[in-house]
Amino acid sequence: MSATSHAHDEAGQAPLVGSLGVDSRKLGLWAFIGSETLFFTALITTHLIFYARTKADLAAKGMLEHMDPKLYLGIDLTTILAAILLASSLTMVLALAATKSKEWPKFRFWLLATIVLGSAFVLGQVYEFTHLYHEGLKLAPQYVYEGETVKSLFGVTFFVMTGFHGLHVTLGVVWLIAVYFKVRRFAASPENPMDVELVGLYWHFVDLVWVAIFTLVYLI
Amino acid sequence: MAEHATHDQHAESHESHSTRFYWMIGAILAVITAVEVAIFLVKDTIGHELFLAILFILSIAKGAGVVMYFMHLRGDARIFQLVFIVPFLLAVTLCLGFLTIFSHHVGIAG
Repeated sequence: MSATSHAHDEAGQAPLVGSLGVDSRKLGLWAFIGSETLFFTALITTHLIFYARTKADLAAKGMLEHMDPKLYLGIDLTTILAAILLASSLTMVLALAATKSKEWPKFRFWLLATIVLGSAFVLGQVYEFTHLYHEGLKLAPQYVYEGETVKSLFGVTFFVMTGFHGLHVTLGVVWLIAVYFKVRRFAASPENPMDVELVGLYWHFVDLVWVAIFTLVYLI
Repeated sequence: MAEHATHDQHAESHESHSTRFYWMIGAILAVITAVEVAIFLVKDTIGHELFLAILFILSIAKGAGVVMYFMHLRGDARIFQLVFIVPFLLAVTLCLGFLTIFSHHVGIAG
């Protein structure tokens, strides 16, 4: 290990500085976020293409009302989910600020708030999925709806796209819980600010993806 | 020299704001979301093109707010900006390209 990897900065962090002069873990996470951006863009693009191609056909058969979540569920639920995730981004950044100023009670409060809000988002999405599935939207390219065969990739692309986002939120909640207990157990660890910063970056990215999905899928 | 550069980049990456600033950014993002929903509700009266234009501008503003201030990319090291912005621009280009190719109006794969 190099001497710089042991050096602690003013905030008490122990950065693992690589040859580029930045923390290797943070660089790795930003590279991961860059690749995830391409991944979610592929899912969103696929959904938009298949939605546009099947919309007219489904509307002619009178099936669009049950196929399109924004027509069927309205945007009330997703607006609440967007507000929840946005609020969780705020609580996350407040938790990070509390970590840097070593205000541990505040940190615990804001991180727990983030965990609760993240869990609420996941529960909201489970409710939405259950509702849509029981109303006929299926994770299949062909299925029978009210006696008529429906051939559409809309359900597949919708569930895969929003499902992967939900999976990311779920993993984020697990990561947040792990960081909460790690910081609580090892309060004096110089790694704590970076641990919180890394999970914060991931969490904000998950919020960012929802900003795109909310606009492109639910509002347009 | 390399150590000097390291110190510079760390100083750059530790730009921090007050909690009041984060509350302000959070409030602005909440207002943008409320405006987006309000515009969605009145979209039939303002026309589809204007609706799309306003929605895209608001969404870009919201996304930029999250990335610049909550993810602190604005004051962070340039290498972080590079590894995020390059894939992001590639993603936007690919999305627009595929939507054009598969468009019913001008696409070649319709």
